[in-house]
Formats: sequence, structure tokens, C-alpha cells
Amino acid sequence: MEFGWTSQQEEYRQRVRAALDDLLPDNWDETYVPESYASDLQIEFSREFCAKLAQRGLLVPHWPPEFGGAGGADWDHFILGEEMKAAGEPRGPQYMNVNWIGPTLMQYGSEEQKQQHVTGISSGKVIWCQGFSEPNAGTDLASLRTRAERDGDHYVVNGSKIWTSYARLADWCFLLARTGPSRKDISILLVPMDTPGVSVTSFPGLIKDGHLNEVFFTDVRVPVENRVGGEGEAWKIVTHALSYERVGVPRYHVGLEALKLAIEQLKQEGRYDNDPIVQSRAGMIAAKFEGARMLTYLVVDQRVKRLPPNTDANLSRVGSLDAVTDLMNFLAEFLPDALAGGDPLLEDYYRINIPAGVTGGTNEIQLDLVAHNGLGLPRG
Amino acid sequence: MDFHFTEDQDALVCALQSILQDHAELPQAERFSYCYFNETLQKILTESGFLDAGHDIGALEAALVVAETAKLPVMVETSATGLVAPMVLAGEKLAGPVALASVRNLEKAHRNLTIAQTMLVDMGDDVAILTIDPAQVEPVNSIYGYPYGRFVTPPDLATARLLVGQGAVLRQWWRVAIAVETAAASMAAIDFTVDYVKQRHVFGKPVGSFQAVKHRLVQCKAYAMATHYLAMRAAWSADPVHADFAACHAQQGVQKLLFDMHQFHGGMGVTTEHMLHFWTYRIRALQAEAGGVYGAAIDIADRLWSDGTQPVNLTSAARSEAA
Repeated sequence: MEFGWTSQQEEYRQRVRAALDDLLPDNWDETYVPESYASDLQIEFSREFCAKLAQRGLLVPHWPPEFGGAGGADWDHFILGEEMKAAGEPRGPQYMNVNWIGPTLMQYGSEEQKQQHVTGISSGKVIWCQGFSEPNAGTDLASLRTRAERDGDHYVVNGSKIWTSYARLADWCFLLARTGPSRKDISILLVPMDTPGVSVTSFPGLIKDGHLNEVFFTDVRVPVENRVGGEGEAWKIVTHALSYERVGVPRYHVGLEALKLAIEQLKQEGRYDNDPIVQSRAGMIAAKFEGARMLTYLVVDQRVKRLPPNTDANLSRVGSLDAVTDLMNFLAEFLPDALAGGDPLLEDYYRINIPAGVTGGTNEIQLDLVAHNGLGLPRG
Repeated sequence: MDFHFTEDQDALVCALQSILQDHAELPQAERFSYCYFNETLQKILTESGFLDAGHDIGALEAALVVAETAKLPVMVETSATGLVAPMVLAGEKLAGPVALASVRNLEKAHRNLTIAQTMLVDMGDDVAILTIDPAQVEPVNSIYGYPYGRFVTPPDLATARLLVGQGAVLRQWWRVAIAVETAAASMAAIDFTVDYVKQRHVFGKPVGSFQAVKHRLVQCKAYAMATHYLAMRAAWSADPVHADFAACHAQQGVQKLLFDMHQFHGGMGVTTEHMLHFWTYRIRALQAEAGGVYGAAIDIADRLWSDGTQPVNLTSAARSEAA
């Protein structure tokens, strides 16, 4: 048991930071970050930024060389994710491509799909969206209703998806659609977003614009060769895909940066140095983020060692959410003006995290999974 | 970064567990006690060298010994004796068990004073070493899961040996010890509770099948696991801010954990016949020590955000020479 970084990992982190210094525009913090990573501005910026990252070998360092990667260690990939998140995630939606869509296609995609998509993702120029949730199927994903009916060498897709971040500017959709009568008769289709019959509507919400979209599919014809895996195999594949996604977000890193920013603001206003209540609350939140860091590192360590997945990834999300909600309360209590135009970066942090307990599998699902599969507690 | 034991650490823990399993049972006569100090086990651990791990191997290995022993319902003193004292007095062994105290409340009751041979007193900048005269200690009845005692007459600190400039080191390792013990006792309390709620039925169903119970148990588990690894990192790195993080995390989680654990045992949770209190009231005793949660939190704030201090790089887990 040891908790240090190797000199190679320290150097790698410095290399990532140097790339960020070089590639981000001078007005990144002022202009881009407050717009949030689902905004048109950041999505378009990501095409330029990720292509440059790819040229430096920093977009998919953990992928095998035959798919455009460097065959690097998983820890390198995770360090990259920490630094990108702390910088405001300039990869925009492409963190999703490199974290799980690409790896899923490498494992389950056909040779043609690998050739077409994996190379595209590793070049950093393609935007994907995730067509999972529906108006009546979010947490209970298996109840989704979007149907894909076989018609010769095509599927005809009808239905709608909701909460689909990045959908307005996405090139492709990683779509789940029902292809049979039973609950888990669900298949994965790769759908070009410019296919006739696909339309996107955005709607406003508490989080920043761009995150909340509804995607409608009306008689959308998708070639059978765009199906990933066999018909009805989506459940198995998505379970694999989500195991990549669930530990992928180093929320503690962003949270500690936001906390530091909040304290700088409080200091400037003369509300920090002589206030032990503010100081102790901030220290307690930092300790929680560090606890979340340890649970996340634990899961990455298991992945590096290729150990079978367990419920520690779910536990790490529970720990992260606890710290995130404490920080949101801290901001609302001690810097209420930050959420009223006083600090765009903190407001962005707050608004982005409003759905932190919902996105990527609700907190209740994480708790259920640990309760049943981790603690062995009986189902109700 | 490696969260798994090395071969040597694995061998250490396995050897320790083989001893502990023979001494984990509470004697029948102690079933209704608030606390049971197992003097025989303390002697075995001392003589077999497990309490020298901090001197002979390192702080992390000493922390592993503390973690294993803190899971037992019976109590032995390993944290101050095997972890804190060796880190404060590098290369010198004190007569154990060791107790810890702050000069600010020396006249009050102290954890482990009735079993201690030596006490380390936090004097602020310095540390005083007191040799305990049992005749000068009176036992104090307490709900806490440790033996408590009070000095009959205040000890003479003027004649005590002083470790100059070691006060901060003592507080650092005291916090590490608190976090290690709290995490381990929390894990044991959670395991005990999980077993109980699987077996106990209400409304025709196991208590543990209700979402209101199982979700909170998982949250407690997340807290305990995070505390454990924070504590282990603090022992490994010997970095003061890691010690503060570990203790602050440990002590802020106690409030919720203690309520939930007893709540899920219903009426049984308030009896001394039920063993839960052996773990939970050790955790409770640790809640206010070494500055408590707010003291640790303010120290974190000082280290991270005070003007003029060297910024702490949280992603650079370098190991201190002291480790």
C-alpha cells in the first residue's frame, strides 16, 4: 500500500498542464468557462482543442496504438481527466467519446465501425451525444419506448430521447432503442444526427443552456450495419460502457478548485480571515473532497490491476456527491451574490452541479447497487 | 499509487489476525460492561513485537496494527503506544500502554489513563512525558468504550521530561491515530449492523430491505471507507495536512454514523448486552480529541488558504522524511 505518484506520472501531469497553458486562449476563464461545456461556444471550441490535444498524444493516451492511442497506463488517462476537469473541461463533450464510447466500440463494434468511428474519435473532431434517457425512462432505463423496427437492411426508429446533452451540435448519437417485446430487448444503433427524421429541441433549465435537449426520431432509417453487437445485446454492452463512465469524473478536483475560488472571493470581501465559522466549514468540505479523492483513486487502482468491477465505483460516487452538495450549500450560504451575477465561474460550478445526484445513474441507484451487491442486503 | 498490501504488509496483518482471533471474544462476565480492556492481549501484542511496527517498519504498518485491533469488541491500546509515540520519539521506546492528553484539560478524565504507564501531554509547542503512578490515578465511570481515569493530584509538569518543539508532531500523529481507529471501529459497527438488519424482521420483512435503512448504511460505509484510506495515506505520507484531512473526515462523520447505527438496532441498540456500543462509544470518545472536527478543519484552512503560506499541492503526494 502506498499513495505516491511515480516521477513519470508527475512529469505526465506537468506535460498536461503545459499543454493546457499553450492551447487555452487567454480569455478561457472569463469567456468560455462561464458558458459551460455544453454551450455552443465550448462544443465548437472542443473540435479545435481536441484535435490539437490529439496531435500532442494527449487525447487518448490510454488507447492501444492501433486505434490512435499511445498504449499508456490508465493512471495517465486519469491524471489527464483530473487536469482537464480542473481547467473547466475544454474537451467539452469529447470526454465522453474518449472515456467510454471509443472503448466500447473497440470491444463490441464491427471492423467497419472501428475504422469509421474510433479513428474519428481519436482525431478529436467528432461530437457524440448519448441517446439513453426518455421522458418516461430515466433511472428505469429498461422501460424505454423508442422503437427500432426492422425493415429489410434498415431499422426504422420512432420515439424520443430527453436530457440529451450536446445533441444540437452532435454528429452522431449512441442510441438505445427497443427491438423486441421483452424488457431487455434493446439494441444499440449509431445514428448520424443529420439523418432525415431526427430533430432536436432545446429547453431552458436550472443548469446552463445547452444541457437540456430533447431528440425526436420520426421514421428515421438506420442501416443494420450501424447496430453495435447483436440485436438485444444493448444491456450487456451498456453495463460495460457505464463501468467506464461511472468513475470517470474527478468531481473532487473541480470542487477543490471551486472552493479555492470561493475563498479568494470571500477574502477580497473581508469575510474570511477573521471568521472561524467560514474557515471551519471550508476545511470540512475540503476533507470530504479528499475522502472522495481516495475512493476514486481506489477504483482507478482496481481498474489498472484489471480486477473485476465491484461496487466501490458506486461508493465513490456517493462520497463525491456528499462533498459536492456541501460545497453548493457553502456557496449559497456565504456567497449568495455569486449566484446572482457576482461570480460567473462559481455560478457555473453551482448550476452544473444541480443535477449531480441524477446524471449518469441517480444517487439512489448507486445506493441500491451497493446495498444489494456490496453489503448483501435483501431487496424490498 | 497502490491500495493493496505489499507481501510484507499482508504477512503482518495475517500474523496479527491469527493472534486476535483467539482473543476477540468478550468474557461472559464483561458482557454488560461499557468497556473491556484485554490485558492479556495487550501483553501478547507487546511481547510479540506488533507494537514496535512503528519503530521497526514504518508508520503505515503501525497504522495497520491499530486498524486490526480497533475492529475488535475488546479493547487494547495500540494507537498511542504503537503509532503516536514511535513517531514523536523516533528510535526511543516508551513503557506502554501510552495515554495522550492536552495540557488544557489535564485535570479532567482521560482516556486510557487507568491502564497507562506513560502519558504524552500536548503542551502547545512542546510535549511533556509523564510516568504514570497508578496510586495517583482514580478510575472514572464512563459510557465511553475506553477505561477512563483522572489524576488524584495534578501531575508536576515542571519536573517532566520535555520534547522541545514536538507539539505539532504529537497533534499530527494523534489525528492520524484517531482516524485509523474511527475508521476501523466504524467498519466493525457497520458489519455488525448489516448482519443484524439482515436477520431482524419487521412488518414481515428484514429491516435491511427497507430503503430508509439500507441507503443510510451505504452512506455510512462510504464515509468509513474514505476515512480508512485518508488515514492510511496520512500514515504513509507523514504530511500534516493529510493528518488533518483524515481526522476532520473521521470526526465529522461520527455524528451521523452513531445515530444511524443505534437507530437500526432499535431497542437492542440501547442495551449493553448488545455489543454495538463497544465500537460506537469508542468512536464517540475520539470525536473531540486533538482539537475535534473544527480544530482539524481550521488547521486545514490555515494550511491551504492562509495568506503567505506555501500553497499545498494536493495532487503531489510526496512522502515526508518522517514516514
